[in-house]
Order: sequence, then structure tokens, then C-alpha cells
Amino acid sequence: MFLCFALITLTGAVALTFQRNLVVAGLCLVLSFMGVAGLFLLLANPVAAALQIIVYSGAIVVLLLFVIMLLAEHQEEPAQRRRPLQRWGSVLVLLALAAGALRLVARSHVLRSLDSGPLPPAMNLDTLGAALFNDHLLAFEGVGLLLLAAMVGAVALVKRDL
Amino acid sequence: MNLAYSILSGGLPGYILVALLLFVIGLGAVLVRRSILVQFMGVELMLNAANVALLAFARFRGGDVQGTVFYLFIIAVAACEAAVGLALVVGLFRHRRTTDTDRADALKL
Amino acid sequence: MQTFAWLIPVLPLLGSAFHGLVGRRAGKAAVTAVALGTMLASLVLSAVLFAAVAAAPERRIDLPYFDWMAVGSLRVPFGLVFDSLSSVMALVVTGIGTLIHLYSVGYMWEEEGYARYFCYLNLFVFFMLTLVLGSSLPLLFVGWEGVGLCSYLLIGYYFDTEVASAAGLKAFLFNRVGDLGMTMGMLALFAAFGTLTVGEILVRAGHLGVEAGFGVLTFATLMMFVGATGKSAQIPLYLWLPDAMAGPTPVSALIHAATMVTAGIYLICRLAPLFLLTPITLTTVAWVGGATALFAATIGLFQRDIKKVLAYSTVSQLGYMFLGLGSAGFAAGFLHLFTHAWFKALLFLGAGSVIHGMHHQQDLFRMGGLKARMPVTFWTMLIATLCIMGFPGTSGFFSKDEILYLAFQKSPGLYAMGLLGAACTAIYMWRLMALAFWGEPRDHHAFEHASESPATMTVPLALLAVGALLAGLLGLPKIWGGSFAIEGWLEPALNFGRTAAAPAAEPGGSGLAWGLMALSTTVALASGYLGWRIYRRGPAAEEAFAGRRPALYRALANKWYVDEAVEACILGPARWTGNCLWKAFDVILIDGIGVNLPGALTRVGGDLTAQVQTGRVRNYALGMAVGAVLLLWIFLK
Repeated sequence: MFLCFALITLTGAVALTFQRNLVVAGLCLVLSFMGVAGLFLLLANPVAAALQIIVYSGAIVVLLLFVIMLLAEHQEEPAQRRRPLQRWGSVLVLLALAAGALRLVARSHVLRSLDSGPLPPAMNLDTLGAALFNDHLLAFEGVGLLLLAAMVGAVALVKRDL
Repeated sequence: MNLAYSILSGGLPGYILVALLLFVIGLGAVLVRRSILVQFMGVELMLNAANVALLAFARFRGGDVQGTVFYLFIIAVAACEAAVGLALVVGLFRHRRTTDTDRADALKL
Repeated sequence: MQTFAWLIPVLPLLGSAFHGLVGRRAGKAAVTAVALGTMLASLVLSAVLFAAVAAAPERRIDLPYFDWMAVGSLRVPFGLVFDSLSSVMALVVTGIGTLIHLYSVGYMWEEEGYARYFCYLNLFVFFMLTLVLGSSLPLLFVGWEGVGLCSYLLIGYYFDTEVASAAGLKAFLFNRVGDLGMTMGMLALFAAFGTLTVGEILVRAGHLGVEAGFGVLTFATLMMFVGATGKSAQIPLYLWLPDAMAGPTPVSALIHAATMVTAGIYLICRLAPLFLLTPITLTTVAWVGGATALFAATIGLFQRDIKKVLAYSTVSQLGYMFLGLGSAGFAAGFLHLFTHAWFKALLFLGAGSVIHGMHHQQDLFRMGGLKARMPVTFWTMLIATLCIMGFPGTSGFFSKDEILYLAFQKSPGLYAMGLLGAACTAIYMWRLMALAFWGEPRDHHAFEHASESPATMTVPLALLAVGALLAGLLGLPKIWGGSFAIEGWLEPALNFGRTAAAPAAEPGGSGLAWGLMALSTTVALASGYLGWRIYRRGPAAEEAFAGRRPALYRALANKWYVDEAVEACILGPARWTGNCLWKAFDVILIDGIGVNLPGALTRVGGDLTAQVQTGRVRNYALGMAVGAVLLLWIFLK
């Protein structure tokens, strides 16, 4: 199961990077998010999975697709100049990072030590709500304020005449 | 091997590996693609990678609820960022009629 | 005595300050009053001090005021010393100085910068008195440098003309070359005696015998002579004096005839006991003096500018003074300095009167017939001419003859040079007189407007003429029945500190003295008459001579081309070297590599590194990613 969801996630991500059409790329993104939601389910966190689907793929990607539709061209524009330095430099860096990631995971003692142990119960909304409103109330309110500010800011940025 | 079995069967190293690889792919989308919207998608992928890692650790450390709380906040911030960022994309498009970041290079010597 | 003796130099200094600071606003009358007032006051005080010196033991009054420098083992006091030598010299400076100040009032009245002129002139008198009265060599050197400075300022008085500025600079630079010698001499004397106070040096040298060979003392005195050469215009440092005629004529009279140029002779007289111990230096002095006397006299034969003739005459006469000093006749040399001050100042002031009367015409070939128009000038200049050529009975006769007598005893070659020089002197002086005062006027327009100069100018001329005639009495030689008074008077100063026996001069006997006197008188009279005969109708004969022997005439008229030689051999290469150094070293090395190269490198480097700033977000993200990879690699190794 795990392998399945992992592959879905990674395939969607890879497809995203190679897709020319923007709309299809957005849909690949959705696929990736679904995979991640599945991973959250396997982590016994249905709350997170639900939030992932509702907020991320339901709201953010939709917003993204709105903007894509707003813009005239759905194809990525042809490049003004070929930039091999950027391209091959990026490839090099990415390969280095990937190799590093593999090595890190393979050699880490921490990961191995945390692997075993009793499995905790699944996350539910009660626990989340209790923690949120008791221990992290200030941060919660702050995030609300942040959302307000972002909303106002987004509107202000796109207005033609202030 | 012990590790390979652990990875394939959904142990902690597996999740972390997925998170890291997802991050690298997201970074690749930012570095290789020129369209600003695709770069934005790459950023979202990177955020998700972080989320996966966060929740995996929370689960394997005895079901810590703080992990989920943090995840909630990350989503909220990502939403804000999406809103404002896409507003900027719209502004860029209005000004220059392009979404190619290679053409938006006025801030140079 | 101590309470007012220092006023002698300080009063002119105060006058100079007055002229410099408020002179222009105060007006010409105030400036005149202050200038003449300070000079007269100084003169009166000098006379008082002279009388005091005459009465003092050893004819010497030492007035140390305070300790000036005390460094290590060097102790230099700031003081004045009035002995028989310096008191006479102070009288000369203040006396002739006052007369020339009076003359300048008339001469400079219409000039721009009247106050500036008297500021510099008073300043000069201050420095000259410091030189004369200073008790230590550094103080003397202060005066030495100061008169050089004032000479520069006054020669370049008409600073808006190219000629005057260049002449001033030339004078100053030649002086500096001499000053190097003076400084080295001072250092050598300090090394030898451990002190720089003149009195102390002479006392410590008192027991020494004559130096055999070339030692420290010879080096010191030789260097002092080099300094004297620069100041007193001897070969090879005389080139500045003819050019210095670009300054106003009273300046030429005071500075370049009577006082500043005599500073070199004065210095040697002050250190006379030391020079007596160094025969090598004395011989050098004598031969250089003799050569200069003859050389300059030949140049004076064919000069057209009246002031240039007198300038070369001054150089020549200074040569005679050195000739006398070098022949161990310090009193004789100083006597000639004294008499020369009177008649040369008179000649210059007379020439100034002529120039003034002819409305700034200085070319002898365009003068003539002024005998009738300017009688006072004529008669006073005639008296001075008789003095300088050595007419029997005049002051110049006694001093010059004494020098020639002593020169003969040192070496007949020196006597021959001196005699030939005397012949030339008589010729060129009578040439000057004949061309200016006899014959038909050659420039009728100027002649019509010529008239005698005002009283402020003629009164000094008359007073100087009287002085010129009477000054000779100081040197009335023994064979005429006198006592050669000057030598007796100066004896305590010239032999100060001497404890060992002075090297005795062999007496030549009165027969030799009469014979030489007769010979030189005959030569002088004959030459003078010849000069008058040739030129009394005008310069036609000279032009004919120029046609017959053009090369010789051109050589003499162009000062034996010495200036041109200096330009070619010294100045030209120096300028060329400087030019090369500028082009190669300064422009290429320092400007190019030192200054411009780092700048260019910085610019190029900056341009290269600015390429990193592409403006594209992708590139910046790649940079961040590369950095992150590096950091992770370092930390997770």
C-alpha cells in the first residue's frame, strides 16, 4: 500500500515537471496531492488526509487553475535563448541532492531507532481540536489574522485603480 | 536487507525517503521550468514534502498531536502564499503579457 | 648697552612690518617717514655703538641675549657681537643704506607698490645687520639666507615681467648652491671645534699651527669660501649678478654693490684666523679672485646696457677683494670693500639718475652729451670713475694698490692678472663716461626731455662723492706717511683668539712698493685716456672693431657664452632627464600601473562579477541550491 501511494505521488510530481501544457500540469499536481493524502491515511491521520484534499487540492489548486485559465496561453512560451548552464547545473544539483538524500536515509541511526516501538492510535478531530484551542490558541488566532491580511493583500495587488 | 524491507513496508525511512525525493522533484520544477505557474506548483510540491516528513515523524514518535497542529498551520500559510503569489502572477501578466520568468529580468546591472 | 643695542637690527624690521601690513593704506608720506626714520635711528645707534667699541677693551663688546639652541653638545646663543670689524660694517650698512633709502624716495615715487618696495628694503637691512652682528654662525646664516630672500624679492620687484621673475629665481638658485658649501663648512667647523659661536671657535683655534696638507680645517674654510662664492658672485657662481640688474637701480646699488655681495668677504674676514691656518684655501681664494677680476673686466668692455657694465664691474671688483684676502691681506681686502661700497653705490645711483633723466633708456649707444644737461650727476660720477680706476689720491687708489702689492708678493702671476684687470677697468669706465656724457646726443628725442634729477636723488649722490674721496684716508699707506690705519683698527678682530705667533708676511721693502705703485698708476691712466679718446665721439670705433674682429667681439659681448654653456651642459641635460623620468616613470609606472591598473582591474572584475546578477529567478534559485548542497555536504560528511 505504501509503495503504491508513494509511486503515485512521485509519478505525479515527475509528470508535472515535464508537462508542457499548464492545465495538464495542474492536474498532475492534483494527482500528486492525492497520493500524499493516501500516505497520510497510512500514517493513521485521517484528519490530515481530509484537510489535504479539501484545502490543498480543493482550494489551492483550484485557485491555480483559475489563474491558468485567466491567462491566455496554456502552453509554456518558447525560450528566448537556450541556457545550458542553468539546465545542466540544475541537473547536477538535483542529482547531488537525490544521492545525498538516499545516503542520508540509508545511514541514519535515528530513523532506524524510531522505526520500532508501539504504534499509537489514529489521530482524530477531538484531539486536534483540544490541542489547537488549548495549547496553541494564540498561534491559531495569528494564522487567522494572516489569512485576512493575505486576502486583503491579494485584492489590493490586482486592483487596477486603488 | 533490513532497510529495504523497512522502506518497502512503510516504515519511517520509507516516508522520509519519499519526502526527500518529492522535495528534490519540486526543486527541479523550480529550476528547470520557465513558466511561473509551473514554478509555483513546484513550490507547492516542496511544501508537501515537508508536510509528509513532519507527519511521519509525529506518527513514529508516539502519535504527537503537535505534528498535526503544525501541519494545519503550514496549510494555512501555503494558502496565503498562494493567494498573494497568484495575485502577483496576474500583475506580472498584465504588465508584460508574459509568464516567462526568463523575460522578467529587469533587476540586473 | 645691552638694553638698546638690539634695536639696531630690530628697528628696520619693525619698519618692514609696518610697510608690509599697513603701508598701502597708510599712504606714501607715512611710508617714507617710517622708512627713513627707522634707518636714521639705526644709523645713530650704530654710531653710538661704534664709539663705545672704540673705547672698549680689545675693541670688542659681546652681548649674549639668550640661549637659542641647546641640543646634545651644541650650545648656540642668540647674541650680538660688536667688534672693530662688525661695527664698521654696521655703519656701512646703515649709512649707505640710509642714503639709498633717501634716493629711492625720488626714484620710486611713481612706481606701483611703493610700500612693498620699502618693506623689502627695510627687511633686507634687518637681515644684513643680523648677518653682520650675529655672534654665532647659525645666526649669521639666518641673516645670510634672509638677504638672499630679500635679494630675490627685490630683483623680482617687477614680478609681472618675465625677465625680472626669471632673474630673481636665478639669483636665489645660485645662492642656494653656495649655501650648501656654507652649511658644510659650518658642519665641519662644529666637528672640529664642538661649537658654532664665532668667538669660541677662534679661541679654540688660537693655539693651532698652520695646517699641513688637506685636513678638516682646510675643508671647512674651503666650503666657507664656496658659500662666499655664491653670495659674492665669483667664478663659477657669478652668473646671477648681471641678470639681477632687472631690479630697480637703487636695489642694485644697495644690494649688489655695497652690502649683500660683500657678505662673502665679510665672512672670510670674520674667520680670518682660521683662514690664516689653511694656506691651500688662501691660495684658492687668491687665484679665483684674480681670475674673476680679469674675466669679468673683459666682459664689461663691450656691454651696451649701462647697468650691465656696472654689474660686471662689481663682479670684477669683488674679485679684487678676494685677491686681497687670499694674499693674507685681510685689512686690505676689507678696505677695498669699504671704498668700493662708496664709489660703486655712487656709480649705480648715478646711473639710475641718468636712466631716470633719459626716461628709462639704458642703452649707452643711444645716450650722449649729457654733460651739459645733468651736471651734478656728471661730476659725482666722474669722481667715482677716478676712484675706481685708481687715480692717485682717491680712495680706490689706496685700496687697490695695497691689494696689488700683496698679490705681487704672493705670486707675480696674480699681480699680472690684477694689472690687466685694472687696465680693462679703466677702459670700460671711461667708455661708459664718454658714451654717456660726451659727444653728440644720439637719441635727440630723449635728450630734449633730459634734465637733472630731483634733490632727493642728487643729495645722496653728493654725499656719496664726499665719502668716496675721504674713505681713502683710512688706508693711507706707510710709504706716504700714513699709518695704514685700517689695519690697526681691525687688528683685534682679525687676530681674535690667536695665541700662537701669526705667520709673518715678508716685508717687500719700500722700493718695491713705489715701483709697483708707479707701474699700476701709469697703466691705469694710460688705459683711461685711451678709453676716453676712442669713445668721446660715439660708438663708431667699436662698431668698426666689431667688423674687423667679429668673433672676438661677439665672444666678449656675449659674456664668453658662459650662460649658454651652463644651459647646454647642466640645465639642458637636467631638463631632459626630468622629462624622461616624467614620461617613463611617472606616466607609465606610477600613473599607469600604480593608479590606473588597480582601477581598471577593479572595473573589469566588477563587470565580470556583475554577470552573476542576471535578474532571473531561476538562476538565483540554482545558486541557493548549490550553496545548500555545499553546506549539507560539509555538515553531513
